[in-house]
Amino acid sequence: MAISTDLKCDVLVVGAGPSGSMTAKWAAKNGADVIMIEKRQEIGSPVRCGEGISKSWLADVGITPSSRWINVEVEGARIYSPSEKVMEINEKHAGNEVGYVVERDAFDKALAIDAANAGTTIHLKTHALDVLRKDGRVTGVKAKQFGQKFEIHASVVVGADGFESQVGRWAGIPTNLQIRDMDSCLQYRMTNVDSDVRYCDFYLGKCAPGGYVWVFPKGDGLANVGIGVQVSKLHHPAEVRDYLDRWIAQHPGYAKGKKIDMVGGGVSISPPIKQSVADGVMLVGDAARMIDPLTGGGIANGCIAGKICGEVAARAAKSGRTSKADLMEYDRRWRAVLEEKLLRNWVAKEKLVSLPDETFDKIIDVLSGVRLEKLSVLNILKAVRERYPEVTQEFENLL
Amino acid sequence: MPGKKDLYIESSGQVCVSCGACVGICPLNCIYLDEWRIGFDEEVCTRCGICVRACPVGAISIG
Ligand SMILES: Cc1cc2nc3c(=O)[nH]c(=O)nc-3n(C[C@H](O)[C@H](O)[C@H](O)COP(=O)(O)OP(=O)(O)OC[C@H]3O[C@@H](n4cnc5c(N)ncnc54)[C@H](O)[C@@H]3O)c2cc1C
Ligand code: SF4
Ligand code: SF4
Repeated sequence: MAISTDLKCDVLVVGAGPSGSMTAKWAAKNGADVIMIEKRQEIGSPVRCGEGISKSWLADVGITPSSRWINVEVEGARIYSPSEKVMEINEKHAGNEVGYVVERDAFDKALAIDAANAGTTIHLKTHALDVLRKDGRVTGVKAKQFGQKFEIHASVVVGADGFESQVGRWAGIPTNLQIRDMDSCLQYRMTNVDSDVRYCDFYLGKCAPGGYVWVFPKGDGLANVGIGVQVSKLHHPAEVRDYLDRWIAQHPGYAKGKKIDMVGGGVSISPPIKQSVADGVMLVGDAARMIDPLTGGGIANGCIAGKICGEVAARAAKSGRTSKADLMEYDRRWRAVLEEKLLRNWVAKEKLVSLPDETFDKIIDVLSGVRLEKLSVLNILKAVRERYPEVTQEFENLL
Repeated sequence: MPGKKDLYIESSGQVCVSCGACVGICPLNCIYLDEWRIGFDEEVCTRCGICVRACPVGAISIG
């Protein structure tokens, strides 16, 4: 049914990706009257994602793994240097939890269903056009559905509107990215390729300046084959597509494959943002630039922050205390969990993107000789330092 | 638009894959993406070319 009048709620979530659904679910569970709007007609589709996630955080945020959205359970990761020396990280052998390749559309829908079951009202094909303001504070959004414009008034507005986020910009929260702080991505889902269902593969170096090529297996010869390249390293139109096509052409196991879908997207590889709340408004997930700048993964961080965001938003809305100072509790809490790793991985990424291919080769060469049971920046650097101290000199402050 | 070159975003979906990369990076926030369609604000855009570099498939051109 089309919406013909203005709406009102405690917490309004803009965007029904994983971060938005988690926020909505936890706000509703904490007693708030929650509306979530999504501009697409189908939550989770089209999929704009490599679909790789780790497992360790799922239970903490109340997500139960389900065969509805788990596609493949991998044993580890393989990292390829420019000359394709390979390093294997097999956490399963060490008894650690590793990861899943998921069906992202089903995953996003499952989280939206959780949010709905907790009491959230969801409006699809509903586009936020601007925020509403009163005395400098955000009081809701202007929205449009089926060509009809209306207002949604809310005690707290949560911007969970992804990489392309507008809510923060409308509300005056600086979320602008420099071109060095973004990877431009393209991915094909391919069938009939030689991917190994046990591993997520990463190819580093000049094949993808400032980023990497990934191959995430989906079983039965199907895989997500994608690339991210730092925008500051791009100079011609469609260069990202050229890089990916070239990589595929150079790898017979993939060149023989057939593309069955194609998605693009942007990923932030920036240090953590300085401000995530303002009067009456909060940002979460990609909208708050919470993507891990080293791995480019953003689902876990968005969900972890989403739970905190929902809890704080509900409490603020119910008590009527929704100023920036009140909402800072969220800012402090997500930073306590995520900020240190985001910063450390950003520093590591900054170094990595400046390394020449020969250095990458050296590093991977060392690492292929040691059995790494836990992929952490620190472990990697320590192993490299033993053989090539000159390579890790620049990283001393991390060690 | 005196003094400004033409910026052209292929918005029919023949090239553009509606990915939002350009929207997220435009320093002036003048590109819009509704569910599928992409458009930009002629007046605000300075033709800085950042979106052209960020677009993974080459759907934007200036000149
Ligand atoms: C090519 C690619 C591969 C990736 N691979 C991985 C990976 O393997 N693993 C991983 O962890 N992460 C990956 N990421 C990152 C991951 O996709 C994001 O971090 C994740 O989707 C963030 O979730 P979110 O809820 O914050 O935003 P999104 O999932 O982007 O959701 C935002 C939602 O808001 C909606 N929206 C936007 N504007 C409005 C508006 N004005 N009104 C209403 N609705 C609006 C959008 O339609 C969208 O549904 C990848 C990203 C890309 C581009
Ligand atoms: S040319 Fe620059 S200002 Fe114009 S739309 Fe592109 S990024 Fe924005
Ligand atoms: S970056 Fe290119 S493909 Fe993506 S939405 Fe913009 S114009 Fe379309």
